[in-house]
Amino acid sequence: MNDFSELEAELKQLRPAPARDELFARIERILVQPEAAPTAGVLPRPSRRPGLWWPLGLGLAGATALVLLGLGFFAEPQTERTVAQNPASPSVSPTSGLQASTLRQVVYRQRDEGLVFSPNQSERLLRRVRYDTRETMQWRNPQTGASLRVSYPAEQVVLTPVSFQ
Amino acid sequence: MENARHDEDWKTCFAQLGPALLLFARRWTNCRADAEDIVQEAFVRFWRRQHSIENRALLYAAVRSAALDRLRSDQRRSRREAAVALDGADHFEPQFTTVDEGQQLLAAAVERLPDEQREVVILKIWNELTFAGIASILEISQNTAASRYRYALGALKKILQPHE
Repeated sequence: MNDFSELEAELKQLRPAPARDELFARIERILVQPEAAPTAGVLPRPSRRPGLWWPLGLGLAGATALVLLGLGFFAEPQTERTVAQNPASPSVSPTSGLQASTLRQVVYRQRDEGLVFSPNQSERLLRRVRYDTRETMQWRNPQTGASLRVSYPAEQVVLTPVSFQ
Repeated sequence: MENARHDEDWKTCFAQLGPALLLFARRWTNCRADAEDIVQEAFVRFWRRQHSIENRALLYAAVRSAALDRLRSDQRRSRREAAVALDGADHFEPQFTTVDEGQQLLAAAVERLPDEQREVVILKIWNELTFAGIASILEISQNTAASRYRYALGALKKILQPHE
């Protein structure tokens, strides 16, 4: 027993105000139907886009593959393959060696999405930061001045583990 | 327990835990609607992940992280302030169900506690969490949690003294 036992007993007699029926109804709607998840109208729900990742990943993979294919193609002048040439600039030969000259990543939006549970270790908390970027790669032929530039938007999500002390 | 939960189980759990969760969420907002949003988000996330309801510390950590996420958002903050300004009555909505004048005084005294002390009292009294659990939720040491609790009870006693 301590000096505060009587006070603690009094506090335990005090009951917090019950949750409103409306809140029960809202939670029920969400648990039954995830897409219909209204809030009290004061705070917007965080957007969930689980279906966006596959197309985005495939798109990025495709763009990367195209770039790599292009690099391999231009870097092998001994091959017999030909590419379409711009008739207006016949002096620029696509089969001449292109050298990587620029790799640029511009972050034009950063969003701290707060703490989330780890999808693998459900009790692990992670901080999720989303970056919207534009990545630009450029190759240049120093002899002819010919250049190739590929630019595409990208989205990166960085998860940093957070630990309680 | 978690794997055997039925669709309706959440109502029983929420009826039991919801009031104290809302009380805890009020630590970060005076607006009832905000507190409900925070609790809704945290509880749904907790329930969907099939966590054991015995792990209350995790549930409260989820409420806290949801509340802090919302606080960090400037856009939401301004919207919340606008909403509070429009609905000032929320500020004064009682957070406890009282049955007599003594309890009313006690409830008012709890609401007058500094936030840091009040949240420890809420977690300790109405959620029966250990100081270790409270410490992990609030990211403080056990000693700090215990001393805040003692300070809170001391302050409550002091506040209530003239009325005793």
